[in-house]
Amino acid sequence: MDLDALMRCVGTTSCIVTQLTSGMIIGMLLFLIASGVTLIFGVLNVINFAHGSLYMIGAYAAWTFYQLTGSYFISAFGAAVAVGILGIAFERFLMSKVYGSNVLMQLLVCYAVVLISDDLIKIIWGPVSLSMGMPVEFRLPPLRFFGGVVPPFYIFMIVAAMAIGLLLWLVIARTRFGNIVRAAAVNGPMVSALGIRVNLYYAAVFGIGSALAGAAGALAAPVRSLTPGMGFSILIESFIVTVIGGMGSIVGAFVASIIIGLTRSFGSIGFPLFVDGVMFLIMALVLIFKPSGLFGRPHNR
Amino acid sequence: MLKLENLKKSFGGVAATRDVTLDFADGSLSAIIGPNGAGKTTLFNLITGRFPIDSGRIVLAGEDISGLSRREIVRRGIGRAFQVASLFPTLTVREALAAAAQAHQRRETSMLVGFPTAAAMKHADEVMELLGLTRVAGILSRNLSHGDQKLLDIGLALALEPKVLLLDEPTAGMGPEERWRMIETVQRLWRARGMTLIFIEHDMDIVFKVAQTVRVLSYGAVLAEGTPEEVRRNPLVIEAYLGKSAHGTAEGAAA
Amino acid sequence: MTGRWRDLAWAGAGLIALLLVPVFGAPPAIRDFIMFGMAYGLLAMSLNLLIGYSGLVSFGHAMFFASGAYAFGLAMQSGKFSIPAAFALAIVFTAALALIVGAICVRLNEIYFAFLTLAFQMLFYNVILGWVSFTGGDQGLMGGIPRPKFLGIDLADRTQLYVFCCVAFIICIAILRQLVTSPFGYTLRLIRDNQERAAFLGVNVPLVKLTCFVISACVAGVGGILLTLFVSGAYPNFGFWTTSGEAIFMILLGGSNVFLGPLVGTVILRLLNDITVTYTSHTELVLGIVILILVLGLRKGPLDLIAERLENRRQAAAQAVRDAADAGAAETRKGGS
Repeated sequence: MDLDALMRCVGTTSCIVTQLTSGMIIGMLLFLIASGVTLIFGVLNVINFAHGSLYMIGAYAAWTFYQLTGSYFISAFGAAVAVGILGIAFERFLMSKVYGSNVLMQLLVCYAVVLISDDLIKIIWGPVSLSMGMPVEFRLPPLRFFGGVVPPFYIFMIVAAMAIGLLLWLVIARTRFGNIVRAAAVNGPMVSALGIRVNLYYAAVFGIGSALAGAAGALAAPVRSLTPGMGFSILIESFIVTVIGGMGSIVGAFVASIIIGLTRSFGSIGFPLFVDGVMFLIMALVLIFKPSGLFGRPHNR
Repeated sequence: MLKLENLKKSFGGVAATRDVTLDFADGSLSAIIGPNGAGKTTLFNLITGRFPIDSGRIVLAGEDISGLSRREIVRRGIGRAFQVASLFPTLTVREALAAAAQAHQRRETSMLVGFPTAAAMKHADEVMELLGLTRVAGILSRNLSHGDQKLLDIGLALALEPKVLLLDEPTAGMGPEERWRMIETVQRLWRARGMTLIFIEHDMDIVFKVAQTVRVLSYGAVLAEGTPEEVRRNPLVIEAYLGKSAHGTAEGAAA
Repeated sequence: MTGRWRDLAWAGAGLIALLLVPVFGAPPAIRDFIMFGMAYGLLAMSLNLLIGYSGLVSFGHAMFFASGAYAFGLAMQSGKFSIPAAFALAIVFTAALALIVGAICVRLNEIYFAFLTLAFQMLFYNVILGWVSFTGGDQGLMGGIPRPKFLGIDLADRTQLYVFCCVAFIICIAILRQLVTSPFGYTLRLIRDNQERAAFLGVNVPLVKLTCFVISACVAGVGGILLTLFVSGAYPNFGFWTTSGEAIFMILLGGSNVFLGPLVGTVILRLLNDITVTYTSHTELVLGIVILILVLGLRKGPLDLIAERLENRRQAAAQAVRDAADAGAAETRKGGS
């Protein structure tokens, strides 16, 4: 516990800026992943434990595409699309078989996918961690805010994530597609009875959720090292975010991921050994006092 | 035995129960009738503590039980059977009733003996005998026919030796013959155990033949109460429930 | 009463069978396999008390496996406790931990319960990893576990260790069996099948769940202690999510509706692991594929399928009884009217 260091940091604007941006990028990555999880849960009532693996595949795919094309934007976009398609396949061939089953079955299917994808990554890319390095497009001098140093890529990450989040929210809240999806979340069979092929929408939702994870992976690739286990720790954190924010709420995921992101960044100065502990503590508190999360709908089960 | 005083309950803006005051005498057999949505099941839910009451009192054998937890209310002697049988799918009839009996005998957390205890088994056998379930004792609850499921549902409530037994549409989903057999069973167990029995029912013939008193609910409020004869002739009841162009009963009332 | 004697006979037979293994000169590999099987078997069997009998799906059960292991290991390394005392201490510690975690978790519904147990497990795991000075961090408890003699028993001797573990194992299995066939066990089934109705029968559902949680944790703790004795150390992965996941998989593999199902699942899983390892290093890939085949194909553990077949036969017999009675009653009615 080094609260003095924390106090000192909060006293200097440069430190605040650094930690703030650092916390924001952690938060934005978490937001993208968590919004995928919460979207899938809200509409399909299924917890996608394999979401971390999708993130990991997105990162590795972005790495490979970058090696091939040398363009970050193409790589990132390509990775997101690739993972989205993978997600649809996962949903159609595996997850849809366990929709009605209890959590145990869903967990096991996802656990199997995690195991398989972890090993496949090791086979294809090797077990040693890879690094993408800063892409050519972003090898620019760092920006200075209030004495703090901010890599331009961080700004891009934050803006990109927010833009994607906004787009997602708009699609869900304002488009016909979104309306149908939200209706299907409440009463799937009814929507089907209206003549709409609900299964296609389910697949689409899963695809979007997966693409979000893939995008997060692509955004993370330049600033994180790629290892076969990278999916899991971010998965746990994204679950924490989803629980705190509320299952099924994108706004909740946004708020919660910022909270967690900032907790991580400032916490790593003040209480480095307890950062994880604090996160779990917040989640435990939310589960005890408001189980449906900050923005979630109460589950009357 | 059971007094409801000025019960009120709203869900959101909808007043499901509006100032209901009813008195159920000890050992009586009464029916609650009313159109769909009149708030009959809600009343049961309030009595058994499933929903908290907004205002009013529920008094059981002189004791105010309003606001007590479901468990407390059950322990004080209110039993309930459900409209849709609420059973334990993986247990046989015998096991389910024995488990209920042992809960009644406060032995449900006992770890050192074997299940079922002799006392629980004896009790379960009695209930099965009373309800005519002995013939299906070894069948899994989920494999029972609809009628037997309803009987088991009642049996689970009966196993707790309630002072007041609430039956929510015991004959729902049954054909005419089965319905009469069910209501005969209900009468039989009422005579055998002598508890205060209240049942919700839609079949008027059954109600008027079997019940001692009838209470009519409409839009959450008590519309009328009295003996079957009185209620049958009550113009408010006829209009609200049976409709102006009613058959059978209306003619009987006119005659 | 015959059921109880039969169970005791099985327990006795099992113990004797296990104890005869070293006597008949089986290679140490078999003994080691059995030791692993017993430790992980207790983890899986205890978890099934929660999952199979109470309907409480916990994702964090390995936490108590690890807490038993570390508490015991640390107690022994401190040099201040005899083995029985350290054993007891580890169980008490695990029970206390389970009491706290359980009290918070049991009031939540299915999915949130699963999450919160996972969260607590990862929290515990992080504490183990982070508190390097106390727990050795990611290296685990190093330096071995001292085994002073107690009551003339010397656990440094492999054979005596084996016997000790067998006895502890059989006792725990017997305890679980007794629980499951007791009134308490049937109350658990009531809660699993229809929690609301169970409450309507006057059952104190949260209290019963908590009791089950604590007992289950203690048995898992014993498993952890056995493993620590066996591998002479305790490691963080005892409490990692993959260990919890494996336990759930063992239950699925063997069957959650049959008492010994999880144990069978443990054996199958370990066999699968050991066989796969000799052919390829990609154990995860193989395991993942096997899980998929089982979950999507069979949907139930093999023991469950067998048990279902038997139950169907029993039901057919019971239904015959009913049909006969109903036919008789119909006759009587026809005769009467």
